Amino acid sequence: MEFDLENPLTDFHEPHSDTITSLFLVESDHMPSENYFQSLQAKGLDISVRREAISEISKFCYNFDPLLSYLAINYLDRFLSSQGVLEPKPWVLRLLAISCVSLAAKMKSEFSLVDFQGDGGFIFDTQTIERMEVLILGALKWRMRSITPFSFLSYFISILKLKDPPLRQALKARATEILFQAPNEIKLFEFKPSTIAASALLSAAHELLPLQHPCFTKAISSCSYVNKENLLQCYNAVQEMVIDGYESAFDTVASSVTPLNVLDQHFSSSESGMTHATVTATTLGTERDIKRRKLIDYCDNLSVQISRIRQY
Amino acid sequence: MEKYEKLEKVGEGTYGKVYKAKDKESGQVVALKKTRLEMDEEGVPPTALREVSLLQMLSQSLYVVRLLCVEHSVNKHGKPLLYLVFEYLDTDLKKFIDSHRKCASPRFLPPAMVQSFLYQLCKGVAHCHSHGALHRDLKPQNLLIDKDRGILKIADLGLGRAFTVPLKSYTHEIVTLWYRAPEVLLGSTHYSTGVDIWSVGCIFAEMVRCQALFHGDSEFQQLLHIFRLLGTPTEKQWPGVTSLRDWHVYPQWEPQNLARHVPSLGPDGVDLLSKMLKYDQAERISAKAALDHPYFDSLDKSQF
Repeated sequence: MEFDLENPLTDFHEPHSDTITSLFLVESDHMPSENYFQSLQAKGLDISVRREAISEISKFCYNFDPLLSYLAINYLDRFLSSQGVLEPKPWVLRLLAISCVSLAAKMKSEFSLVDFQGDGGFIFDTQTIERMEVLILGALKWRMRSITPFSFLSYFISILKLKDPPLRQALKARATEILFQAPNEIKLFEFKPSTIAASALLSAAHELLPLQHPCFTKAISSCSYVNKENLLQCYNAVQEMVIDGYESAFDTVASSVTPLNVLDQHFSSSESGMTHATVTATTLGTERDIKRRKLIDYCDNLSVQISRIRQY
Repeated sequence: MEKYEKLEKVGEGTYGKVYKAKDKESGQVVALKKTRLEMDEEGVPPTALREVSLLQMLSQSLYVVRLLCVEHSVNKHGKPLLYLVFEYLDTDLKKFIDSHRKCASPRFLPPAMVQSFLYQLCKGVAHCHSHGALHRDLKPQNLLIDKDRGILKIADLGLGRAFTVPLKSYTHEIVTLWYRAPEVLLGSTHYSTGVDIWSVGCIFAEMVRCQALFHGDSEFQQLLHIFRLLGTPTEKQWPGVTSLRDWHVYPQWEPQNLARHVPSLGPDGVDLLSKMLKYDQAERISAKAALDHPYFDSLDKSQF
């Protein structure tokens, strides 16, 4: 039975009320420990170690479904949180990364080690990878059917009672994009997958259906499985991440020269930001204010450019 | 595996030996199930990975034997082994029924106990089905019992795909066909949750009678036993039956009165049993629906 992140428990595609309850009950087993960030530091590991491993994962998964790298990153975080690595040497991180990807690929039945080993650098024999896989499996207690935010999206969307299917799809698509950025945001480490899913959905709704946003927020926070306070905190963190995402897209744009290139680059960079989640979010406050102002200018500018292009 | 002290071999499961063992540190008694893991060029086999992680997830239910942990090890020849560490329960339903039947003054299981065990079984099966998992090999030997607390739990779950159910176990003991659904016996490849419900029905009847309902020793004999009691199925009753792979021409039997084969069972029980033993899978009651059947009305459900 192939493992599907949106449907971690079941093959049957109709949502089952018992299944949803079990998802909420066991989701905490599938996230890094509560003080993951601090524990990384306590183990003498810098957050950059994690970042490096993630960038290896993204490289391996470049040609595959982004859910594959998402699952691999979930394994990586849970492994680092329970076990850590003794020597964060580049080859260890690469081995860890490829083993997480290999496990994720086996769960999703997209497997062939050969596909992942292609590009130069460190090549590992299967026994080495196997040993690392076994180490990861042990640390994760073989709980490989990760419950991630994706497992909750459809449920929360159903709560919103949207009648229009294209609207539901648009909302889900945008929330999914936001979720792909989430592993890069340190502030989101502490929240449960369901809380992150609800926040991403609300953030998407804020962009796409701003008028209905308050009533969506109400609907989701009145769901008995959701802790309102956590939801609010998590939502704020997600919103910040999304805005920072625009800003860094804007930064890339600001450094380029001709107006036509600006447009091209804006779209390509925001796209890759969504799927490969390379956006980092560590901006200082003051810098952020300046950027925001620039962003507003930039948007005005952009609309002028667009109208100009249309005239041609 | 130095963590555990093997106390005794308690069985030869379908997939390997089962030991009763003690966790040296905590003193907890556990069941160790050894499985050979066929590593190939791809490292840990994907099927084992998916099945064990599914088992890990299913064992969250009270009515499924809890998988405590998974230990990876190697045997004398350096071949990889996987030990599945389960909670230990003192007996199984087969031994439990035998102890009632074979003792000096044979007696039936008390009706309230049958009702409670069946309810727990349906709970466990409903849990598995809601998680997209079929058991495929439900039988009294796979239902573990805690006598003192009156608890029944499903064991040997979810390994159906990683380690395909063999006709003979690795000890060459013949795998029992008594609980196998007619569609499986007839070679259907499109079977579903109904196969487990059929088994539940057979187990239900066996608890009541203290004797198996259909005890064939080959697939053909097993089908004849079923047809003799429930009547030879017709296309009308079970659309598509005559085009199944292993369908032959069988003697035409008329259905018998099911109640006569479970004499101590009341009308509600017989009704539930007959709904579990429907030929057409689509008509067979689901585990979830069974929980709401009037047969369980007299049961105190708050304890579950």
